[in-house]
Amino acid sequence: MADVVLKNVRKSFGRAQVIHGVDLDIADGEFVVFVGPSGCGKSTLLRLIAGLEDVTSGDLFIGGERVNDRAPAKRGIAMVFQSYALYPHMNVYDNMAFGLELAKSSRSAIDAKVREAARMLQIESLLDRKPRELSGGQRQRVAIGRAIVRDPKVFLFDEPLSNLDAALRVQTRIEIAKLHADTRATMIYVTHDQVEAMTLADRIVVLNAGRVEQVGTPLELYHRPANLFVAGFLGSPQMNFIPCAVSRTDADGVQVQLPNGGTVTVPVSPAGVRAGETVTLGIRPDHVKVLDQGALAGRIALVEELGESHLLHVDIGRERPLTVREPGDSRHEAGQEIGLSLDGAFCHLFRESGGALPLLAPAGSPTGRPAARAINAA
Amino acid sequence: MKILARIGFWLLVAGIGLFSIFPFYYAVISSFRSGNDLFSVAYLPERLDLSNYVAVFERQPFGTNILNSIVVAASVVALSLALGITAAYAFGRIRFRGRSLLLMTILAVSMFPQVAVLSGMFELIRGFGLYNTLPGLILANLMLTLPFTVWVLTTFMRELPKEIEEAAFVDGATPWIVVRRVFLPLMMPAAVTTGLLAFIVSWNEFLFALTFTLTNERRTVPPAIALMSGSTAYELPWGTIMAASVIVTLPIIALVLVFQRKIVAGLTAGAVKG
Repeated sequence: MADVVLKNVRKSFGRAQVIHGVDLDIADGEFVVFVGPSGCGKSTLLRLIAGLEDVTSGDLFIGGERVNDRAPAKRGIAMVFQSYALYPHMNVYDNMAFGLELAKSSRSAIDAKVREAARMLQIESLLDRKPRELSGGQRQRVAIGRAIVRDPKVFLFDEPLSNLDAALRVQTRIEIAKLHADTRATMIYVTHDQVEAMTLADRIVVLNAGRVEQVGTPLELYHRPANLFVAGFLGSPQMNFIPCAVSRTDADGVQVQLPNGGTVTVPVSPAGVRAGETVTLGIRPDHVKVLDQGALAGRIALVEELGESHLLHVDIGRERPLTVREPGDSRHEAGQEIGLSLDGAFCHLFRESGGALPLLAPAGSPTGRPAARAINAA
Repeated sequence: MKILARIGFWLLVAGIGLFSIFPFYYAVISSFRSGNDLFSVAYLPERLDLSNYVAVFERQPFGTNILNSIVVAASVVALSLALGITAAYAFGRIRFRGRSLLLMTILAVSMFPQVAVLSGMFELIRGFGLYNTLPGLILANLMLTLPFTVWVLTTFMRELPKEIEEAAFVDGATPWIVVRRVFLPLMMPAAVTTGLLAFIVSWNEFLFALTFTLTNERRTVPPAIALMSGSTAYELPWGTIMAASVIVTLPIIALVLVFQRKIVAGLTAGAVKG
């Protein structure tokens, strides 16, 4: 069991800097997920922690010890790779035993550990098989088993589910969550899949271009994104962004003027905001209401039926259509003119720098923001 | 039209087959003939006369020559593979300054004709005190086998997934363990192929073997055959030469046949990603 602490960690490949000073505290037993678009440095950050890449500057602590110059095997970590990275010429048993064998464990200790891990992962019947005789899901279990037998203080997962099909992905995701509950080991998990991030994480670290954009619990990030990037990255379909101008600020929040005339008051802190300033209003597709007449008017460009809900892509005279999600089957058709209402309580405002205006926490905090409430209570 | 094309194809195959096999076939035929028969042209064996085969071993230490060849070729293969695989790991996996320059230099070495380096090599061998010894020949032959061994194995090493190596590092393996316990088994098909080529090159090597040995007992097979003498100074012993050629060609054919299966099996096994 160990905590992982990064202090101003930087990484450069030649002249190109890919990690720009990351500070991060990961508590003992915590499940932390790194998310971000491809090329944001999330895998590199994981490899720095694993010791597969050297930290260019900054300090890396695992369990209170500085491990910058320590070999991967001596850091008390185990890693599960995206491509499984099993040894193709060894059978499942030997794949899992290899690390212990190199650590010069006794034969009986190795046997006990391997069989215990195999029982946990239900791969006991596969121990004599070669990796090429296994399905993708089974290979991934073996890879996880190889990590378990090392009894690591920290588990590192590098997009472990992205090579699996959808059904297996859900199943394996649940198994990883169970593994975390059973072992209570610190886990760091890299993914670009936000469903995995939301469901697995105690805390999510959103990375962009080698920088940490925001760290927080999944719901904190979902309900109170710190900036435009996080707001746009989490949530599917993506949050709608509408540029608009600030018309009035008072104690209740900031009133903005929508492109076609309507106004919305958003309960955010007005500190430092001037009337007339250009801001970006963000609202999730679930929070836009369809009316005959509303603050916005538009024409439905496309209807997408998802079964349990449907998406309306509404042309509001801007380059990108507004997305609306409503439950059940659609009552509308493409081409229809509709009105949209935006509930200010569910809106976010972002300044031109990209930073979000902090939400006010009035007594009757909207029900859609439980995390926000929790934080304010604390 | 289709039939004509098919006939043409098989004629071509037959032509190529005849062209490649005929010299060996004629050597076999000739090895069974003796005396004046040798100088008449015949395409079919008339009788099985083994006297040439007996003569090969009686008139010179041909058994020793074969043994020498085996020792030299086997050592060259072992050294080429050991050096080739470790070098391939460095070239394929470790980033260092001047890597591609060094790789190019190795390739450039193999472009020199043997004759060009012969005198320099002779001085070198003598300087090391290896003249007229088998280690001298082994050293010289490495110059011929190492460049292609390193190149082929480097190419192969680069194609092995990097994650497997990283997984081994996380498991606590040193680079040497990675090479020996992880990469070597995966590279078996490539190692067998290059090893076989190195064996053939070394087995057939003539110029170095002729230059760097002095006595009959130290010669390998190719110069031994070339320097065979007949019962008189004026006789060129075609019969014994042909018999000797047949004897030393057989091990190569056997080796290729034995390892051919390994090569094919290994290649298909490696093709499935693990």
